[in-house]
Amino acid sequence: MAKPVVRANKLLVGYGGAPVCAPVSFTLPEGRALALVGANGAGKSTVLRAVIGLLEPSGGSLTVLGAPVDERSVQFRAKVSSVLDDDAYFPALTVAEHLYLTARGHGMLGAHALVEELLEEFGLTEHARSLPTALSSGQRRRLLLAAGFVRPRTLLVLDEPEQRLDLRMRSALAERLIAEKEAGGAVLFATHDAELVRTVADRAVYVDDSSSPLLGAAEAATRIAAEPA
Amino acid sequence: MNDEWLADPVEGEEHVGLDGWPAVAEADLGEVPLAIELRRFTRKAARTRAGASLGSLLGGVYYAVIVAGTGVLLGLGIAQQLRVSLPPPPATADFSLSIPTLVAVILLALAGGLLSLAGRLGPVGAGGAEAAWWLSLPVDRRALLRPAALRLPMTAGAVFAVLVGLLDGGLLADNQGHLLRGAISGALAGVLIVVGAGLAQTAGASRRATAVAGDLLMLAALVGAVVLAATGRSIDRLPAPGWVAVGVLALVLVGLAVLMDRRLGRIRERGLRESGSVASQAAGAVVSMDSRELGRALADGAVRPTRRWVSRLRTARGAASALVTADLVVLRRSVRHLVQLAVTASVVVLVTLLPQLATEAGVLAAVMIAGYLAASATAEGARRAEMAPILDCLLPLAPTTVRRLRMAVPAVVMLMWSFVVFVALGRWAGDLPGWLAMGVASTPAWAAATVRAAYRPAPDWQKPLVATPMGALPTGVASVLARGPDVVVLGMLPLWIALVLRSVSPTLILAQVVTSVVAVLVASSTSTKSFMERAMDAQEADRASREGAGR
Repeated sequence: MAKPVVRANKLLVGYGGAPVCAPVSFTLPEGRALALVGANGAGKSTVLRAVIGLLEPSGGSLTVLGAPVDERSVQFRAKVSSVLDDDAYFPALTVAEHLYLTARGHGMLGAHALVEELLEEFGLTEHARSLPTALSSGQRRRLLLAAGFVRPRTLLVLDEPEQRLDLRMRSALAERLIAEKEAGGAVLFATHDAELVRTVADRAVYVDDSSSPLLGAAEAATRIAAEPA
Repeated sequence: MNDEWLADPVEGEEHVGLDGWPAVAEADLGEVPLAIELRRFTRKAARTRAGASLGSLLGGVYYAVIVAGTGVLLGLGIAQQLRVSLPPPPATADFSLSIPTLVAVILLALAGGLLSLAGRLGPVGAGGAEAAWWLSLPVDRRALLRPAALRLPMTAGAVFAVLVGLLDGGLLADNQGHLLRGAISGALAGVLIVVGAGLAQTAGASRRATAVAGDLLMLAALVGAVVLAATGRSIDRLPAPGWVAVGVLALVLVGLAVLMDRRLGRIRERGLRESGSVASQAAGAVVSMDSRELGRALADGAVRPTRRWVSRLRTARGAASALVTADLVVLRRSVRHLVQLAVTASVVVLVTLLPQLATEAGVLAAVMIAGYLAASATAEGARRAEMAPILDCLLPLAPTTVRRLRMAVPAVVMLMWSFVVFVALGRWAGDLPGWLAMGVASTPAWAAATVRAAYRPAPDWQKPLVATPMGALPTGVASVLARGPDVVVLGMLPLWIALVLRSVSPTLILAQVVTSVVAVLVASSTSTKSFMERAMDAQEADRASREGAGR
């Protein structure tokens, strides 16, 4: 049986003591992907923030890699890669240098070759020497996603990775995430994209304020499709 | 559903811990570099692309030194002039403070202010790109955070050295050896306060707790001044720290700084991000000279993270009353602003009671500055509305009407504030009913000034610079920053005349009524241009139309 990378048991998250959603329970084993789905403001991102240590859980239990979450641990940071919506960049570093900084910071060998490979994959080769201020919103999003893959990881956490990506790039991202699972990595992502859930996720948690049930990927995709636009 | 997805531990499963987890791309892993190497990499790239020549860098340093030096010398001159002009403490007064006591009170208040500021800013944080790209790296975070951890203590030390030097050399006028020791002690104390706040942060204390401790220290300074004045206790001379004491203080500080440095890695990422975000917002506000944004950054930096109760807005019966009710709710929820009102009123009362400060000039300065700070506390609703203009557009009201309605809460609150202050002025100058009438007459002008300041447009950096001995002065910025204070100075001219004369007359009260009406009309205007600019625009348009008719 695959080892559980993330285990949340009646996990309660919120701000100022007030929970934002019903308690969430799930286990994410290695080599699998779990999607968090639900309406805007349901609490998906808040759950993700708790998993990567940016928010103290209000209740329940949460372990990542078999230990309580503590992002101050070097080992935790070495194994958990997260891509949130941090639209912030060093103004003087180019696109390639941002990726190189991340790769070298994690001790990746052959960082230059790896960076070039990811620039190609995320359609940023032409912008390798551009400063982030010269990029479009979608290109900046691709840079953030590439940074999530330019480093080693056991758990990959993504917050609505489909945002600001065109259809071709969404499809490439889905393939990338499937490859991630096949390589033994665990993927936890929040999304509104039914297709991404259907193709990548093995299970999904429908985050809501009344109950947050664990669903099959197909059922979750159907629920997303049924949500009002 | 398969057991592996359930949250409950599976029987026989081992607790694996952080070790022993295979990672994707692990085979390509080498040695993780030192944090300092990553910092150097980022700094080198920034230096390469900075685009600033050595000449412009030296020019910037030159201006900074000239501005700082001129400011310090001006401050010293004012402080020395103040010492000469202040009357000696009367031998028989019931209520008085000696200058050394006053300096001690000011120093305590400054220490509280610095602690409060350090708490609101973190003091250690990592904002923007640093948070996004550095904090996730598996390196010793201390080396990444060290520059940020040093910035505020060093700045505080420099500012405190100057302030203590000004107070010591100006108001106390001791010998130069004492002055140097005082300035060094001030610098060390400033650094110590921020390092103390940093240690509290590494121990997990909330930024709010540190900020509140600083606020309480400031309040204690004010209460202490009142108690000392009321009981007639004063100190004749502030003890000068000896060189041994300065050395011991420096050693203690080094020890605490090393301890803080060792514990930097204990600060959680969310705390670093929050502090970094507040510091970036505050720094941006200072650079763009936006006092409203600075106030928002520092106020939000210490807000309690709890959910608000939902106000039922019972007094909202229509668009106008909804707007006024909303302003009232904003004020009622901001304890900081209510404290600001109480403290500013107390300061004026204290100044009128202290024989050394209760000169015409002293009382005028106290009423003007404290009054404007008090009025500023009442216009948070207007400031928020200026930041998000949609709030004003939501209600079916003309923009001019919105501005006038935004003056309602400030006017009512300033009426209550004025009652306390003008009773004290009545006691100070005699003729209590006359001063109370003057207080009522001036209330609309306070409200007009604060609403005008709240709605001031963004500074215009395109306008020409004026060369001054202190460097280039951007006129577009100065004219914008003057919006609000200009109404205080001009719209309350009869009150200032009455304070200078220490006497109030029906003519002055009537004149104040007229200037208050004018102030309200000026503050109701939605035009972002000054009167002069509008006159020039009208002249230009008139000339253009005449030329068009001539053709």
